[in-house]
Amino acid sequence: MPKLIDSAFARYLLQKILWYVLAFFVAVALNFFLPRLIPGNPVAVIVSQMAQQGVQSAALERLYATYMAEFGLDQPVHVQFIRYLSGVFRGDLGTSFMLYPSKVSDVIRSALPWTLALQIPAILVGWTLGNVLGAVAAYKRGVFDRTVFISALALSRVPYYCLAIILVYLLAVTWPVFPVAGGYSFGFYPEWSLEFILDALYHYTLPFLSLVMVAIGGAAVGMREMSIYELGTDYVNYAKRLGISDAKVVRYVFRNAMLPQVTGLALAFGTMVGGALVTENVFSYPGLGTLLFSAIRQNDYPMIQGITLMITVTVLIANFLVEIAYGFIDPRIRAAQVGEK
Amino acid sequence: MDALVSVRNLKAYYKTPDNQDVRAVDGVSLDILPGEALGIAGESGCGKSTLSYVLSLFVQKPLYIKEGEVFVEGRDMASFDEKTLQREVRGKVISVVPQGAMNSLNPTRKIRHMVIDVLREHYPEMSPREAVERGRERLEFLGLPPRVLDVYPHQLSGGMKQRVVTVISTLLNPKVLIVDEPTSALDVTSQKIVIKLLLDLLRKKIIQSIVFITHELPLLRHVADRIAIMYAGKIVELGTMQEIIFDPKHPYTQALIGSVLTPEPGMKDRKVTGIPGRPPDMKMPPAGCRFQERCPQRFGRCGEEPPRVNVGGREVLCWLLQNEPASELADASAR
Repeated sequence: MPKLIDSAFARYLLQKILWYVLAFFVAVALNFFLPRLIPGNPVAVIVSQMAQQGVQSAALERLYATYMAEFGLDQPVHVQFIRYLSGVFRGDLGTSFMLYPSKVSDVIRSALPWTLALQIPAILVGWTLGNVLGAVAAYKRGVFDRTVFISALALSRVPYYCLAIILVYLLAVTWPVFPVAGGYSFGFYPEWSLEFILDALYHYTLPFLSLVMVAIGGAAVGMREMSIYELGTDYVNYAKRLGISDAKVVRYVFRNAMLPQVTGLALAFGTMVGGALVTENVFSYPGLGTLLFSAIRQNDYPMIQGITLMITVTVLIANFLVEIAYGFIDPRIRAAQVGEK
Repeated sequence: MDALVSVRNLKAYYKTPDNQDVRAVDGVSLDILPGEALGIAGESGCGKSTLSYVLSLFVQKPLYIKEGEVFVEGRDMASFDEKTLQREVRGKVISVVPQGAMNSLNPTRKIRHMVIDVLREHYPEMSPREAVERGRERLEFLGLPPRVLDVYPHQLSGGMKQRVVTVISTLLNPKVLIVDEPTSALDVTSQKIVIKLLLDLLRKKIIQSIVFITHELPLLRHVADRIAIMYAGKIVELGTMQEIIFDPKHPYTQALIGSVLTPEPGMKDRKVTGIPGRPPDMKMPPAGCRFQERCPQRFGRCGEEPPRVNVGGREVLCWLLQNEPASELADASAR
């Protein structure tokens, strides 16, 4: 009987880690170069804003030169890249252009909790409800199944922003039950008070609903397909013919049908910020998505790099954990990992 | 001798989505006697697997019983409720080794869990530890390595998987074991080992009777006491192995034997012939004999429903034998 951790598995793990480190470096390089392909000079944008405020042109030229030097944009690209890399390893993501002189890491730190608090519960709740719904639909079939399948399919195919806009239109504009935008009301400041938390939850409802509904749709469609497939397999038939009760057979089926859904969950976590971008923008939610959106509009290279670095790391870690976890929940995958036949 | 399982004039149909009937089993009467090895042979689609579903009292949509009775040790199947069938009959009185035993084990659970589930479903008071112990004893008794309990199905070879499934199917000492195409996915060596195991179960009295469902006549030649030949949902001939293999009476049986290549002494000069044509559409089978369109000995009366003729103890469903000195079995079995 194979041990839980043996040398073949250790070798597999090492190989995987090396592979992920390589992927990390490629992603870091892309994070650096891609924002620089956006047309426009960020310093010119800042300086032109100052010109509108009536700063003299001689001063503007000095300001321009100062900012270029301050941000390191007067250096050749490869020097900038090396500075950026060494910064990443020292945990220094640089200074934001658009929110000068705030540190990128400080800005991200204040926006991140909003995104996490919105996304993680939405993904988990949506995934769980979707799987239960899909499994029950596959087991019951008939009208219930058709209703669940069609609505889940429709929900899973609706773009995030569409659902968000519909919800805002219906529940914030037509019937103003919920606020139109924001993470909390004007006049509040983020703090751990009951009043603030209630206000934040009130603003939370619509963005949360819009994300949960799409997540339920996606998970239900996948789970239903897999469960129907598993219910028709030979091992299910055999177990029934030996008199094993339906309740037990259904447990076999749903465990096995869940396997691909675990991958889906990891991918959902990976693409969290990407998916949040649009939703947060619709609701002007103070999270990473909104932040990334304004950073891109203002060519704030360090901010874009910082946020995409976060996304990269999240995707890589989520994928890595799932690959490892998969081996433990599916013995066939594990056999392939350690190179058994 | 009282039959362990018997079916009388069984009609088991599949309902298609457009509400038509596919008459997979269409008027079959058959007894499974204690101590016997019964073979049921026929081409693909003749209804033999459907018959195995009914014989194992596992009738699930879209399959349904249109007509006829199924008796288990003299009790009418219709008198059992689904819970009793599941708990007390399936696996315990009648068990199966299904077609495609290769995929019959849950791929993500070790063999021991299947052993535990089968035993504890029927004996809830048994502890998982006892169940595994029972499985271990049974494997050793039948000459299989007990270490298979601790592996996953994908770690077993095809032949071993088939044998493990066979052992799991007989853990509850069922009276009847129905084996559907036990050898079709195996190489010759593994086939032999699997057959030996099946006959061992009978010899060691773990099971009382065995039913082989197969398209391979040469297999039945070596294992069966009696053979039923099925064609298009009906049993066209039922007799002892000797009678069927060496002296077939029904034209279909003759054609079937003629189309099999067997390395038997005295058979090497025999020409192997195929059977021209195709079996009829079971949604609309022809009136009268169902083999008539392919039958080389077809004559005027074949358009009428053929009689079940008793020829020296064997049953043949054919007009050709009506002239021979024989009585109609239909009257005798009316009792």
